[in-house]
Amino acid sequence: MSILDFLNFYLIPGVVLGSIYALGAVGITLIFAILRYAHLAHGDLATLGAFLAFAVVTGFGLSPLAALPIAMILTAGVAVGIDKVFYEHLRERPKIVTVMASLGIALMVRSVVQVVWGVDAESYVRGIVRPENYFGLRIKDREIYTVVFMLALVGGLQLFLARSKWGKAMRAMSDNPNLALLSGIDNKKVVILTWVIAGGLCAASGVFLGINTELKSMMGWHMLLPMFAGAILGGVGRVEGAVLGGLIVGIAEELSVLVLPSEYKAAMAFAILLFMLLVRPTGLLRGKVL
Amino acid sequence: MKILLSMNGVTGGYGDADILQDVSIQVDDKEIVVIVGPNGAGKSTAMKAVFGLLKIRGGSIIFDDDRITGWAPNRIVQRGICYVPQVDNIFREMSIHENLEMGAFLKKGDLSAAYDRVYELFPDLKERRKTLAGALSGGQRQMVAMGRALMLDPKLLLLDEPTAGLSPRYMEQIFQICRDVRDTGVAILLVEQHAKQALAFADRGYVLAAGQNRHEGTGAHLLADREVAEMFLGG
Repeated sequence: MSILDFLNFYLIPGVVLGSIYALGAVGITLIFAILRYAHLAHGDLATLGAFLAFAVVTGFGLSPLAALPIAMILTAGVAVGIDKVFYEHLRERPKIVTVMASLGIALMVRSVVQVVWGVDAESYVRGIVRPENYFGLRIKDREIYTVVFMLALVGGLQLFLARSKWGKAMRAMSDNPNLALLSGIDNKKVVILTWVIAGGLCAASGVFLGINTELKSMMGWHMLLPMFAGAILGGVGRVEGAVLGGLIVGIAEELSVLVLPSEYKAAMAFAILLFMLLVRPTGLLRGKVL
Repeated sequence: MKILLSMNGVTGGYGDADILQDVSIQVDDKEIVVIVGPNGAGKSTAMKAVFGLLKIRGGSIIFDDDRITGWAPNRIVQRGICYVPQVDNIFREMSIHENLEMGAFLKKGDLSAAYDRVYELFPDLKERRKTLAGALSGGQRQMVAMGRALMLDPKLLLLDEPTAGLSPRYMEQIFQICRDVRDTGVAILLVEQHAKQALAFADRGYVLAAGQNRHEGTGAHLLADREVAEMFLGG
């Protein structure tokens, strides 16, 4: 196999898939950092985001990219609503109660998607897209903007967390929730902000998965394990770690085809997750211990 | 001298059991008051009662002519009392400067005067403002914690065992900082394990035992008291 074949058939698709996972993993890591539980409805929320964008694309004739911000805002709203209606009441209970509740939410969200949009595969745009040829590298436009958008969104988030008052409040609450309260930081607002960001990123990951493959009601659920593997691999609570972790999981899944039958692609995320939890549970960038 | 804080016969605890029984403590303007006593005497609990972290079942707490019994901590912060817990009192993964910024979270507008004030009290911190607070030594962390609490210009600062685990050199430094803070017009109520040194440096002291007032008076008076010396100060 030539080096170009390796790049075209394994590495580039791996980076694209990894970028999609990274968007979800960042949300998972933020929710864990602020609220301290694993959010199992994250994948299905991504599905919802993808289908909301689909509704905008088919309803208003917009391109998927133009529909993306609308889907992000709508999904952020749904995420905040779910927190208000379901998770908020469980805040004082053991965290495992909320984890189980989020599994229930996952099933509910998926059912809503199936009832509204059906169970058949859909796609944003019909027809086959031919990749462009860049000195032998065959890359589709949508693959470029998937990676670019991921970097822009995560870069913007990092800037927000580092510079803005409310971004710092989020970090403070993740760092030391009691002291944040003693300092007068409004934890309710920080929680809403967390869901807005996580919900928006979730929708972006769903939309980009839909753009690069197709829309299915189970698409997000199948991303849940790789997204968690990415978050844990990078170090829970670390945004840059979640990006790194998501990319590694995506690339590892594509590379696994070299040695394993492609049906076992999904097992790669599981293997990485297991390996990290056994060897280095704080992740590559030293996150919180689960 | 004006009375800034008075706890009058406060009874209460965290759950159903009362840890404090009829405890009364008073702090005047610009005064350093220390609470000492054996382990489990309810020293920290008494301080938490002031800050609204306790279920109070009897008595009242008056601060600066306001009855603050039962207020939520964030309202008390805004009223002018800041609290430095004994442990976990800094944001480890944030810089010194960001720690101070979080301390002033409730403050609107320009913070430069507040930063200047704190950095003047703690010149060491100014040099290292970009350093992560978690990377500092114990004494410097304590300074960050106090600096964070001073950002809102409180009238009263509550310190829970500020010298716990520090070397004698740092202990002396923290006490000196307390005097400097007092000289800027802030009253201080602190809980101390090192009773002898604390009573020598404070204006007045209270000795608590088993959740009740046992002795009170000026530091020198308490140090000279035979019973106090035998009970708590190791003879």
